[in-house]
Amino acid sequence: MALGGYANRIAHVDLTAGTVEYRGIPEDWARKYIGARGLGVRYMLENGPQVDPLSPDNLLCFMNGPLTGTEANMSGRMAIVTKSPLTGTVTDSHHGGWSAARLRWAGFDGLLVKGKASGPVYLYVHDGIVEIMDASEVWGKGIHDTVKFFRERYGEKDLSVIAIGPAGENLVKFACWVNENDRASGRGGTGCVGGSKLLKAVVIKSAKKMPKAANLEAWKPAQKRALATIMDERNITSPRKGGLSVYGTNVLMNITSAMGALPTKNSMVTSFGPSAEKISGEYVKEHILVDDPTCHACPVACKKEVEIKEGPWKGLRMESVEYEPAWSLGANCGNDDINTVAKLIDMCNDYGMDAIELGHPLSVYMEATERGYTNGDGGLAWGDTMAMVEMARKIAMREGIGNVMADGAEATARYFGHPELAMTVKGQGVPAYDPRGLKGMGIAYATSNRGACHLRAYTPAAELGVMPFGSLKVDPLAWKGKGELVKIFQDVHAFSDSLDLCKFSAFAESAEEYAAQYAAMVGVECTPEDVLKIGERIYNLERYYNNLAGFREGSDYLPARFTQEPSTMPGSEGHVCELDEMLAEYYAARGWVNGVVPESKLRELGIID
Amino acid sequence: MQVNFYATLRPIVGGRTVEFHVGEHVTVKQLVDVIVERFPRLRKELLNEDGNLYPHVHVFINGRDAPYLPNGVETVIKPGDTVDIFPAVAGG
Ligand code: SF4
Repeated sequence: MALGGYANRIAHVDLTAGTVEYRGIPEDWARKYIGARGLGVRYMLENGPQVDPLSPDNLLCFMNGPLTGTEANMSGRMAIVTKSPLTGTVTDSHHGGWSAARLRWAGFDGLLVKGKASGPVYLYVHDGIVEIMDASEVWGKGIHDTVKFFRERYGEKDLSVIAIGPAGENLVKFACWVNENDRASGRGGTGCVGGSKLLKAVVIKSAKKMPKAANLEAWKPAQKRALATIMDERNITSPRKGGLSVYGTNVLMNITSAMGALPTKNSMVTSFGPSAEKISGEYVKEHILVDDPTCHACPVACKKEVEIKEGPWKGLRMESVEYEPAWSLGANCGNDDINTVAKLIDMCNDYGMDAIELGHPLSVYMEATERGYTNGDGGLAWGDTMAMVEMARKIAMREGIGNVMADGAEATARYFGHPELAMTVKGQGVPAYDPRGLKGMGIAYATSNRGACHLRAYTPAAELGVMPFGSLKVDPLAWKGKGELVKIFQDVHAFSDSLDLCKFSAFAESAEEYAAQYAAMVGVECTPEDVLKIGERIYNLERYYNNLAGFREGSDYLPARFTQEPSTMPGSEGHVCELDEMLAEYYAARGWVNGVVPESKLRELGIID
Repeated sequence: MQVNFYATLRPIVGGRTVEFHVGEHVTVKQLVDVIVERFPRLRKELLNEDGNLYPHVHVFINGRDAPYLPNGVETVIKPGDTVDIFPAVAGG
C-alpha cells in the first residue's frame, strides 16, 4: 500500500478453524473509508449484511485508525465493529484507555474475528502476531478478575486486556467489551457477539512504538496546532479549567434537567427537578471524587474515579461516573442516590453490560409496575436501589425475569404487553437527551445508523452554544435547520471516528485540524471539504449496509412518547419533537428516499461502481 | 432574588445559590450587571468585550435561555422565577 501511517497489517482470525492470516489493507478501501469505524464497516459489508449477528459467520472487528496510538492528542480510541444482536444494524462502539495504542504498537490496524471456537479462547496479541489461546480458566469470571488474571500471567507493564464478562458469556443482548477494567465499548451488544464466538478476551502486550508520519515536516505543526486548540479552549477541554476536564461529562446533568431536556422516569417527564443536583458532576466532585484518570495522549483527563464513603457499598473505588450512565441508572430510574449509581456502573463494568442500555429494561419494568401492567409478575419501584442492584445481577445471569430483560427494553415492554413503554430506536435505548427539549437529538436518534445514539451527531454542542465546525448557536426548541445540522455532524463524526480520535476533540478541533493531521500522517492531500465528503461516504456506506440488512423505507422513527406527549416541565413545557418535519429536511440534505440510499448516490460517493 | 450557579462558576461565587438584592422590575441584563459587580471575576466568564453575554453562557429564566425569550435579555424577572446561570458545558 502506498499510504504511510498505517501498519498495513490486519489479522484475520478464524476461530472455527483455529487459524490466523495476516493481510494488508486494500488501498482503495483505506483511501475511501480511512480506518476504525469506516474501514470496519467496509469489512462488514464484504462479509454480507444478511448475516445472523449471533452466528459464527458474523464478523467482529477490533479496529484502529491511522491516527491511533500516534502523538495526536486523544488518539487512544479503538472501534469495535460488528452486526448488532440488539439492533440488527451494523454497529461500532469505541473505547479509550491504551488498548488501541498498544494494538497499533504491536503492529496492527485491526483484528477481524470470525467463526466460533470449540471452547473458550482469548487472543494474545504481541510483536506482530496473534495467538489463539485457551481461556477456560477465566470463563465465568467478571471483568475485574479477568484483568487481574492476565496481569498476573503476562505482567502489568505494557499490557491491555479487553474482555467480556458473564453478561457476554450469557448472551445478554446489550453485553459489551470492557478495556482495562472500566473503559467500555458500551453500545450495541458487541460483547454478546464475543460470547457467541466463545471469545473471552483480547490481550495486547506492546511497549510504546510511536508510528511515524509519512510527511514529518507537516506532521509536527499539524499535531501542535490541534493540541493548542484543546489547551486553549478554556470553557470545555482546557486541562483543569474547562468544565469537561474539571467535572467530566456529568457536568451536563444540571443543565439538561433545568431546560426540560433530561428524560426522567422512562421519559415520562423531562426533568429530574432538584434531584438532578444529587447525581450531577458538581455533586460528585464535592463528595466522592478521588482521581481524574485519562487516556493515551489526552491532557483533558475527563474520567472521574470515585470512592463511595458510606452505605452498603462503602469503600468501593471505581471509574467512571459519566453523564450517560448516571442518567440511565439515575434520573431515568427515578434514583437520586449517587452511591447506587456508582455501584451499578461498576457492576456493568464487571459483568460487561452497556450501562446506558441497562437503565432501559429497568425503567420499563418500573413504569409497567406503576401502571399496573406487570400481571402479578412482582414489581420494581422507581429508585428502589437494592432491588435495582439485584435486578442488574439477574439480568447479567439471565435469572428469572432477568432472562427477559437481558434481551433489552423492547423485549421487556413486549413481555408486559405494552411495547409503547420501550424508549428505543431500532431496538437501542435512547441516551440522556430528551428530544422534546433538545430537538436536534430527535432527528439524530431517528437517523442514527446504529439505533438511538447521541454520538452520531452531537447536536447539543450547537444547541448549547459550543459551536464546533463553524456551526452557529441554535435554539434547542427550534426544529428548522436541525436536519441539515445533523447531517454535518454525522459526517464529521464519521470521519473522526475513523481516524480514530476521541469525540470530545470536536469541542475544540474542527475539520481543519482533522484534515491536517490525517494528511500529514498518511501522506495525502486532505481539505476540510474532503473531511465532510469522506464522512458522508462512510455514513452512506453504513446506511447502505442497513438497507441491505432489511432497514428500508420508514425505518427512521422515534418512540411515540417524544412526538405525541408534550413535555410538562419548565424549559420545554408544551413541546413535542417535530420529527416528520426534520426528517423531510434531513432526507433532502442527504439525497435519500425515505431512509434508503438511492443507487445514484452510492455511485456518486464511489461506494459502488 | 436567588440565583443558582453551576459547574466552573461555583468556585467563583463560593456556592450553589447566591442571594442578590435587586429592586422590582429588574431585567436579565440588569441582574447580570449586578452579579458581575459583586463578583468581578465572573465578568470575563460571562461577558464579551462589548459587555454582552457570550453565546455559550446560559442565563435560564424558568429553564429557558434568556436570549430566546420574547424580550431577550430585556425580559423582566418576576418574583418566584427560577434563575440558573451555566458556563459553557458539553460532554456526551
Ligand atoms: S477526553 Fe476523556 S474520553 Fe476522551 S481521550 Fe480524553 S480522557 Fe479519554
